[in-house]
Amino acid sequence: MGVETTLSSAFNLGVLDSMTNDSIEEILESWNGLSTATEALLKGKGDLSVGSDFISCVQVLCKHRLRELAQDHFFQVLEVFRLFKAASTFWRHFVVYTEFELSKMDEFDVQEGIQQVLCKALEDLSLEKEYQEKCLLMLVHALQSHQEGTLDEQHGSNAVRSRVFSKYHLMISSVLMTSLPRHFPVILRFYFKQRLEELSVMMARDNKDLDESPNKDNMDLDERTKVSYRDGGMDIDEMYLDKKLSENNKLVKNIGKVVRDLRSFGFTSMTEDAYASAIFYLLKMKVHNLAGDDYRNSVLEPIKEWIQAVPLQFLYALLAYLGDSVSYDSPSSGLKSPLASHPSSCYPGVDTPSEGLVRWQLRLEYYAYETLQDLRIAKLFEIIVDYPDSCPAIEDLKQCLEYTGQHSKLVDSFISALRYRLLTAGASTNDILHQYVSTIKALRIIDPTGVFLEAVGEPIRDYLRGRKDTIKCIVTVLTDGQGGNANGPGNTGDSLLEELNRDEGNQELSGYDEEFNSDDKQSWTNAECWEPDPAEADPSKGSRNRRKIDILGMIVGIIGSKDQLVNEYRVMLAEKLLNKSDYDIDAEIRTLELLKIHFGESSMQKCEIMLNDLIDSKRTNSNIKATMTRPPHAVPEHEEAGVSADVVNATIISSNFWPPIQDEPLNVPEVVDQLLADYAERFHVIKTPRKLLWKKNLGAVKLELQFEGRAVQFTVAPVHATIIMKFQDQTSWTSQNLAAAIGVPVDTLNRRINFWITKGIISESLGSEPDNHIFTLVDGMVDSGSNATSTAVCEDLIAADEEGERSVASVEEQLRKEMTVYEKFIMGMLTNFGSMSLDRIHNTLKMFCVADPPYDKSLQQLQSFLSGLTSEEKLELRDGMYILKK
Amino acid sequence: MPTTTQGYEGNTPAAAITPPIASSKQQLPPAKSVDTQAVLKRWLQSELMSLMMGGDPGISAFPEEDNIFCWKGTIHGSKDTVFEGTDYKLSLSFPTDYPFKPPKVKFDTACFHPNVDVYGNICLDILQDKWSSAYDVRTILLSIQSLLGEPNISSPLNTQAAALWINQAEYRKMVVKLYKPASA
Repeated sequence: MGVETTLSSAFNLGVLDSMTNDSIEEILESWNGLSTATEALLKGKGDLSVGSDFISCVQVLCKHRLRELAQDHFFQVLEVFRLFKAASTFWRHFVVYTEFELSKMDEFDVQEGIQQVLCKALEDLSLEKEYQEKCLLMLVHALQSHQEGTLDEQHGSNAVRSRVFSKYHLMISSVLMTSLPRHFPVILRFYFKQRLEELSVMMARDNKDLDESPNKDNMDLDERTKVSYRDGGMDIDEMYLDKKLSENNKLVKNIGKVVRDLRSFGFTSMTEDAYASAIFYLLKMKVHNLAGDDYRNSVLEPIKEWIQAVPLQFLYALLAYLGDSVSYDSPSSGLKSPLASHPSSCYPGVDTPSEGLVRWQLRLEYYAYETLQDLRIAKLFEIIVDYPDSCPAIEDLKQCLEYTGQHSKLVDSFISALRYRLLTAGASTNDILHQYVSTIKALRIIDPTGVFLEAVGEPIRDYLRGRKDTIKCIVTVLTDGQGGNANGPGNTGDSLLEELNRDEGNQELSGYDEEFNSDDKQSWTNAECWEPDPAEADPSKGSRNRRKIDILGMIVGIIGSKDQLVNEYRVMLAEKLLNKSDYDIDAEIRTLELLKIHFGESSMQKCEIMLNDLIDSKRTNSNIKATMTRPPHAVPEHEEAGVSADVVNATIISSNFWPPIQDEPLNVPEVVDQLLADYAERFHVIKTPRKLLWKKNLGAVKLELQFEGRAVQFTVAPVHATIIMKFQDQTSWTSQNLAAAIGVPVDTLNRRINFWITKGIISESLGSEPDNHIFTLVDGMVDSGSNATSTAVCEDLIAADEEGERSVASVEEQLRKEMTVYEKFIMGMLTNFGSMSLDRIHNTLKMFCVADPPYDKSLQQLQSFLSGLTSEEKLELRDGMYILKK
Repeated sequence: MPTTTQGYEGNTPAAAITPPIASSKQQLPPAKSVDTQAVLKRWLQSELMSLMMGGDPGISAFPEEDNIFCWKGTIHGSKDTVFEGTDYKLSLSFPTDYPFKPPKVKFDTACFHPNVDVYGNICLDILQDKWSSAYDVRTILLSIQSLLGEPNISSPLNTQAAALWINQAEYRKMVVKLYKPASA
């Protein structure tokens, strides 16, 4: 390289030697000529008339091998006198928008301004550029004409031309770039956003036209075919596009022109950035608009259609418009952009979309999926609240996630939403449970493998375990499907009974459950069908087996063991059965059968006996009544009192299999007592050696109170009936006397009699002693208005009154009783061992407490029991160790 | 109780006689001893249950973590004795022929008492020759509790304590001085 340089310089020196005075003079002259001509060309307004002078001067200089000098001089003058000025003029157009931000430009005049200013600025600059290119052409011409003399090669002259022009382009773009104001990209972005919005509006209008066109009278054949495009005909696509394009041609052309101009000034990548971000911005808006807070419709398809209709159309048209110009104008830069590639791809040829367009489509769709997914994930909580109705939204989300694979985002976001909105003290257990069930169902759609469900369900389960009424609510949800079924299938969406029904056929599963402890068995089966397959698992594989146990399994999983659930159900069933006035237990039988399938025959055995008791009761009852009414002597006696055996219906229970039943003493009126005694006797006769023991405080009494001129009917508890019957003989009682007569404690009486006081049938007044009130029968006429409605509301009132006074000892009470044994053990071990951890207490109880029933509580139950003892100040919890409180 | 007796008596002779008999019979004794052990376990469990449910104040005992033959006991010094306000830990270990033999009982907490030596061994007749199978953990603990207040001065293990016993005030000071409660 070095050698070559010295050679060329030597050659130059040689030239200098061979120069004559003439030639030097000629050079000087033409140099001066060139200077004047260049200045005339480029200074001020510019004067093309000096062109011929310019060319000859350049030619002379070229002849003397001073081509480079001439060229450099030209560019220098061009830069100093033209380009800087042009750039500053160009930027001056945008000075107004210096403080410009995308968010602030909503005012209409600003918007209009931008478009005009941009177009004007580009136009001015283009004119300027045009002029400069003319000058440039002269230079090229001069250089070429010189070269033709020397080299006369075609491609050589072309090389000169391209060299000169590329140098020029480099100059113009670098001058513009160096003086680029910061807000220009924002302006561009805004411009494209605005144009696209306009286009979008136009497209929407077209669509509407298209929808309406069948109703138009002047519908021509052409339009008819467009309508049939909706059927998806591929060949009609083209025509549809044609129409679109012709309508929007002007707009797109305008944009295209702007884009082309911008590119020619070297803003290629900036322009691309600008319209890409504008498109994405619009797409985001569109997704938000379409998706919004409506979960009842699938929006994925409309979004895709929109992508096809607006942004892709736009890009398509832009590509097409730029197509011919790009081919020579583009400096074929290394910038591989979707637009730059294959710009010449055919105009309406939908069948062969260019590679760039396809890439754009993929980009846009991915973006749409991601946006929609983020939107849906953020609102997943609400979506699941609306679950059965929001299925389309869930399906959308599923598709999005399949595309983007961002399941973990869903899990994180949803868990935090749950924590914040659901798992709070204010939410009722029922709501949480329903939400849990909906979550299970919804996530099952999204992810059939249940991997994410597991993650999401965990916090809910943990939280529910801490709630006291969880089991009760679960049982209610499980079994209260009857109401829903009666009201039609529309209401069963969140009932788990439906879930029970669904799996009715799966007998083989229940076969296992009967013999094994179902928890162990279940976890074993789960373990066996485990697959290491989070997101991309095949939904059709391995999921069937899981699904069967899914919801119930997960619900039972909250409690820890099915025994507790069964126990709670038993209490609830007992309550329900005891409150029945007829023997209609079809619904209960059905529920029980379903539960048997899931929890095994053996665990539901007691419940089955309870139901059988009811069935037996019905038979025995009619049997007894048949034999009782036969003896004629009883009839007159009973009719006198207005009571006959016919009115008694007994529920005969095998109390060993029922949960402990609350027993309250009650002296029922003598006639009734006699009747019950007769009934019991008959029972003994029929069912020897069995005897009937009445629980007189339980049951329901239908009675009618007759006042002067009107009668009111009530269905009340026996104690209420007994109270009111006492007023039949005596209109005024003191509370103590009445309590003694009925055989209940005074405070119980005071509580119960409230029922009649609220009905306005009995009034209460203070007696001589402070706690010995006087109750007096109110004359029926006093407030007949409120009594008129009493029959209707009395059922509710009883229910309210009976709240907390259930006939069956609740599971908690049973548990507390059992736990007192354990309390003594715990005290004993803590006395001797000082401090113990929860685990150790649990294990020690398991090992040594062989009471009847043996210790069978879960760790959670023990923990809650211990924390109960702690709050009673019997124990202390320090660093995870329990110690006795001294 | 009868079952226990049979099980026990039936076992030992069989084990003693077996040597010449075939190996199949040799399998029997361990099986049987497991049997008696299970019976004994149940026995101790029921004792534990009655002890827990009995709720005698001031005495308590509970099996150690996984061994029902080793119990830890606690005796609270009775009111109006020099041991008032102190808790003594004991260990009880039951022989395999319990309740026909007494359990071994000793103090884990140092106890300054005429009938308790420095190693915690207790000199109490019912724990030695006066043992009866009618006694149980509860009666043992109650006996020891009353022994605290009424020592047998005539045959002391701790002569210093026996000598000091006459001076209850001084004795109380000694008890308080030497008392080291079990770390909670």
